[in-house]
Amino acid sequence: MKNKFNIHLLEFALSSIFRRGAKNIFIFFVFTLLIFLLSSVLFISNSIKSELDKTVDALPDITVQRLIAGRQVNIPISRIDKLISIEGVSKAIPRIWGYYYFAKAGVNFSVIGIDSFDDQYKKSYSELVDKFDFSNMQDKSQMLVGQGVKKILESNYYSGYFNFIKPDGDFIKMNIGGVFKGDTRLESNDVILMPKQKVLEIFGMKDSEATDIVLRVANPVEIPNIAKKISQMFPDCRVITKEDLVISYQNIFDYKSGLFLALFVISGFTFFMIIYDKASGLSSEEKKEIGILKAVGWRVDDILKEKFYEAFVISFLSFATAFCASLFYVFFLNAPLLRDIFIGYSTLKPNFILPFSFNFQTFSIIFFLTVPIYIAATIVPSWRVASMDADEVMR
Amino acid sequence: MIEFKDVTKTFILENKDEITALKNINLHIKKGEIVLLEGPSGSGKSTILSLIAALSKPTSGEVLVNQKRISKLSDNFTSMFRRENIGFIFQKFNLIPTLSAKENVIVPLIPSNPDTKSLDENLNELFKKFSILPKMNILAKNLSGGEQQRVAIARALVNNPSIIIADEPTANLDKKLSIEFIDILRKLKDGKNTIIIASHDPLFFDLDLIDKTINIKNAEIVQCF
Repeated sequence: MKNKFNIHLLEFALSSIFRRGAKNIFIFFVFTLLIFLLSSVLFISNSIKSELDKTVDALPDITVQRLIAGRQVNIPISRIDKLISIEGVSKAIPRIWGYYYFAKAGVNFSVIGIDSFDDQYKKSYSELVDKFDFSNMQDKSQMLVGQGVKKILESNYYSGYFNFIKPDGDFIKMNIGGVFKGDTRLESNDVILMPKQKVLEIFGMKDSEATDIVLRVANPVEIPNIAKKISQMFPDCRVITKEDLVISYQNIFDYKSGLFLALFVISGFTFFMIIYDKASGLSSEEKKEIGILKAVGWRVDDILKEKFYEAFVISFLSFATAFCASLFYVFFLNAPLLRDIFIGYSTLKPNFILPFSFNFQTFSIIFFLTVPIYIAATIVPSWRVASMDADEVMR
Repeated sequence: MIEFKDVTKTFILENKDEITALKNINLHIKKGEIVLLEGPSGSGKSTILSLIAALSKPTSGEVLVNQKRISKLSDNFTSMFRRENIGFIFQKFNLIPTLSAKENVIVPLIPSNPDTKSLDENLNELFKKFSILPKMNILAKNLSGGEQQRVAIARALVNNPSIIIADEPTANLDKKLSIEFIDILRKLKDGKNTIIIASHDPLFFDLDLIDKTINIKNAEIVQCF
């Protein structure tokens, strides 16, 4: 019987929460808001990180770009023969792509040329070529667009086609042949895929040129050696390895995470202000109540148990509310306001849906950064007061 | 039953000054007695009550209740001792203002996790006994002074204590309510309960139900009769 759960103590704790309703409602809202911010930021960054990880997996082993006066220019396709002859290079694929600025929406589209008879440098592109009838796309002037592109075009009254403007001012009409999902939403959302010939026309490029050349290397250990050989073979080229790209992606991500650091600091500061306020002492009314409880026969551990229930109920309710709200905000509402800080590269601003990404580690981090700290901040001052003589506390 | 052996109690104030509240007190109170501690304000009456209830510890000397040295008990044991033996009626009642009369009375029982059904029956009886049954669910802060005192008495008696302590019980009551309190005391005098009252209210002087009067002045017992 002694070990039976004391429901009266829990009832007393609950009534205590309601008795100090205004104060506890204020704490609940502030605490909920802080946990909401914290968990939203973690959810967004986790979601994007998982997207970036997938993007990195799909990166070419080596990318060769030609530079003149420090700026990237098109590279002659003829160089492929020399590149493929380097021992260890299993594939060399010319890429034809570029950014097309759609002034009306203020966004950049990534226009990428692929042909059905080419080797694709991305697995997802091979799948697309198989799925859609790419061989007829040239004749039908068709293109495939990412979901974000489709939305932007539709909102600008281009439901079935889009008129690209060539460098000479002429229009080139491309019909939307399909909408696709790429390996990663972050990367493919702003992408338009079309036959290489059309891309050459849109960007005014020569048939003998490519934007860059990507290489596949059979043995990843050989990548640095091969990169060195290419640099020596083509001194006017910049050779970018997969590792360089990973660092570059991470830098972009870290930079954007840095913006959130400010949010973290602000929310952390507010959180610790509350904790400091709680830990620095109890109100005279709370102290007197503890004194009365002791005077009528409550032990220190009875008082601490009651305070634990109070703190747990408030902090766990805040945590659960904030956690659910941030799941809804990030993955259902797609994190309006906060999302814009993260998505897109440079001037790109495509519509981007944050993919659901949840891990227990994030859940634990948020839980352990908030609930136990709040409970401790409530219990410690109560313990200090409860350890004093009841007579002294009530005076 | 209650014994003080050379008990001295000093308080250290915030400015480090020392105040001696009790000086070498020796007293003996038998089981079932009703004892009045009388003396002017600040003479040390409340300190004696506080030591009997183990709400504080003596600076030197010993306090024994039922042969138990309560002044040497640890904090948790003094709480248990109070829960099982003491019913304390405070001068300012010390009710929790935001709890109802019923909730205030239950408070001492909560740690022992009482059975809800028998608890409700006992409470009804207790509230009836002190004529506050209709006030059961009213917040303590909304009760009149007399009602608050009766709730405080009910709280002091809810765990059937063997020692009832009342500190200036009529200080905040008018004459009519003070007489009502004395009537309640009369009901409680059954030879089993030891009742100790600290007061300088003349209503208690020469009261037939008082078995012993201890006169305190300047932290010392000056008379015991």
